[in-house]
Amino acid sequence: MPRSSTSTSASEALFALAFAHAPSAIVVGTAKNVGKTTVFNALRAVALRRGIALAVTSIGRDGEAADALDGEAKPRVRLTPGTLVALAAGLVPRTPALAILGSGAESALGATVFARVVLPTTCEIAGPPTAAAMRATIARLRGLGGGPVLVDGAIDRIAALAGGDDAVIVATGAASGATIARVAAVAAETVARLTIPGRDPRAERARVVYVAGALDAADAELLLADARGATVVIEDPTRIAVRGALFAALRDAVDLRCERPLRVVACTTSPVGRERALAPRALVEAVARATGLPAFDVVADLAA
Amino acid sequence: MIADAATAERIGLDWLHAALAPVGAFGRRHDEGRAPYGPGDEARAQAEIAQVVALAARLDPEGVARVRGALRAVPEPGPVLARTRAGDALSDVDFYELGRFVDALDALARAWDGALRPGPDDEPQRPPAVDGLRNVLAAGREGGAFYLADAFGPGLRAARAALAGAEAEYEARREAIAARVRDATGVDAVGDEFVVLREVYDGPLPRGAYVVRETPTYRTAVIRVLDPERDAALDRLAVEEEAARRVLAERVARESDAVAAATRALGALDHTLARVAFAQRWPGCVATLAADRIAFTEATFPPLAEALATRGRRYTALSLDLRGVAVLTGPNMGGKSAALAAAGFLCACASLGVPPPARTASLHLLARIDWIGGEAPEDRARLLSSYAAEVVRARETLAAASRHALVLVDEFARTTGPRDGRALLIAFVEALRERGAFALIATHFDGVAQTAGVPHLQIAGLRADALDAVRASDLDAALDAINAAMDYRIVEAAAGEAGSDALALARLLGLDPRVVERARALSERA
Repeated sequence: MPRSSTSTSASEALFALAFAHAPSAIVVGTAKNVGKTTVFNALRAVALRRGIALAVTSIGRDGEAADALDGEAKPRVRLTPGTLVALAAGLVPRTPALAILGSGAESALGATVFARVVLPTTCEIAGPPTAAAMRATIARLRGLGGGPVLVDGAIDRIAALAGGDDAVIVATGAASGATIARVAAVAAETVARLTIPGRDPRAERARVVYVAGALDAADAELLLADARGATVVIEDPTRIAVRGALFAALRDAVDLRCERPLRVVACTTSPVGRERALAPRALVEAVARATGLPAFDVVADLAA
Repeated sequence: MIADAATAERIGLDWLHAALAPVGAFGRRHDEGRAPYGPGDEARAQAEIAQVVALAARLDPEGVARVRGALRAVPEPGPVLARTRAGDALSDVDFYELGRFVDALDALARAWDGALRPGPDDEPQRPPAVDGLRNVLAAGREGGAFYLADAFGPGLRAARAALAGAEAEYEARREAIAARVRDATGVDAVGDEFVVLREVYDGPLPRGAYVVRETPTYRTAVIRVLDPERDAALDRLAVEEEAARRVLAERVARESDAVAAATRALGALDHTLARVAFAQRWPGCVATLAADRIAFTEATFPPLAEALATRGRRYTALSLDLRGVAVLTGPNMGGKSAALAAAGFLCACASLGVPPPARTASLHLLARIDWIGGEAPEDRARLLSSYAAEVVRARETLAAASRHALVLVDEFARTTGPRDGRALLIAFVEALRERGAFALIATHFDGVAQTAGVPHLQIAGLRADALDAVRASDLDAALDAINAAMDYRIVEAAAGEAGSDALALARLLGLDPRVVERARALSERA
């Protein structure tokens, strides 16, 4: 009998972290094809095993059979009876029919529809396009179902995290870097951006600079020139539009704070990329080390 | 009723349109298709005004706000119905939206019943209902949701049972493969996917599990269940569900005329409730619509009353009896311009089927209203001086003047030489009189009414010496004092000069007393 590598333990642990203190969780990726939907499905499987009625939606367009850019197969979202889902009207499967419970914000694919699955179905999920509409969608799903809400996030729509009390799971993988070290570094930078601490009046420096709206590269250069040592306050971590060395320099030079911090609880890893494959165990360990967060590979059932 | 932009702004017509704006798309569509009442529409206009007055009395004001809120929430069924009539296949979301329309009308009816006060036997017409559409959708509706229920198609129940059975069989077979994978490799699949580390298991995968990616350290595999019976059950259900939707869409299409009628009724209700809300905020009367006079008592000009209220000041109601052309004189700040605007506003109310905010009113349904006096933005754009702008407007007004026109003239020719200005104004008044127009001419020129042979009205003005003893500390106090001292009533003028009380007002408004005294001396000497 081979040594057990049961995937349920990593998924169970991730589920417990995600919903221990928050009624909703969002999975966001550091790049495309880093296993977000796989993590999404793993968490749904845990809910199913535990008999928890999980409501689901997506910030981006997910669950399509093939990647819209490169045509490669992508994980489908198979919804079981009783599941509450928010998806664009244009994606509501005609068969088997869903029970339509409500409608909401418009998107390019039609109004966001709230539905309950009656017979098992496999479909695409695309939720509302704006942060405000996503917040309203999560609230309505919670109102309709009463259970936890799971959101499949999107790499380029991180603003939808703003203003929520969700647990945030950062998915990373071989698609975001050529080496384990690079993947871990990208994950660490993403986590560093998303975990900007909240304001603490007792710890603020003598000079406090408030940056309204997005903090972009031009703002960062100005702050580096004129505000070294100051406390710099942004609205929330999704407002940070600087990356790489400039972000690292800014973080080192100022006391970066935000009005509404996010709660990033874990990372996940996918060792499989379109062009490369990385060692699963080494990857999950490297990401945990680099981010300081628990890391999981829900497919290979690894945790670090 | 025609009123150019400058006139609309001066008489509060823009304000009135905003106050009467419908809350929903049905009302906006209704209003877009309606022209204001004009000459010849007296019976219809009066009937609408009477209906609004009656409803304003029967409906609780807070209830009206709730009914309007319910109206705003009624979704638009038009696009779905149009697609139905065109023979398009409808989706379950479409049926849900139609159900929402039915529910919204129920909520509207409840709000209406809650707003209705006890009254005479003749109950006002209730908001529309769409019982036919409700019945068509009933089998699929529960708690506001819609589901393509088994009752919608004879084969649905069996097809769904078959699919449920096939799905259970599929899951059993999938679970059997997953169990074999678990037994062979120790790995549980996440969904249909799993990864096997070569250090854990590097042997052959069980039947039904297929490798999709291999690396030196692990393999990624998926579970695939080939289940033609499940696929066939799904196809059969798709056929049954589409057939049920087709039949349901045909039944919906048969209700489209009733739904369209309901949406028209909603538009009319939105239109009427906007007027009811206005009438409850600015109580009015059922005006008599007469050809020979524009007369009202205790009238309010709401835009001014509202502006004064925000500054803590009180509006003084106006009365006027205008038969043809009249000249209006009186002191500065005595309300001449407000009287002109109120006359235009009340006539506009009648044209729009709105109870004029007055105790009594006898109004004429006008074809047009023109305001002359001061510059409008378009005049400045044309680089016209104030005088030139007034003359151009006077030319255009005369060209269009008729017995269905009201011309409101506010200190015409005040920016040119007083002698020529006065003469021009007199000639203009005569021309208006000859054309049979209604006109109210506010001016500080002396003797215009007498020379032109028209009635002379005046603002009663400052109570004698009321301001002399007042010492205002600031502008607000000065305005309060002027307000308290001013008699805003419009009365028949006594013979003599058109007084302006200009010097007393200048003193109170803070002009250097030495300047005022010098002016008074010069005035008395003249």
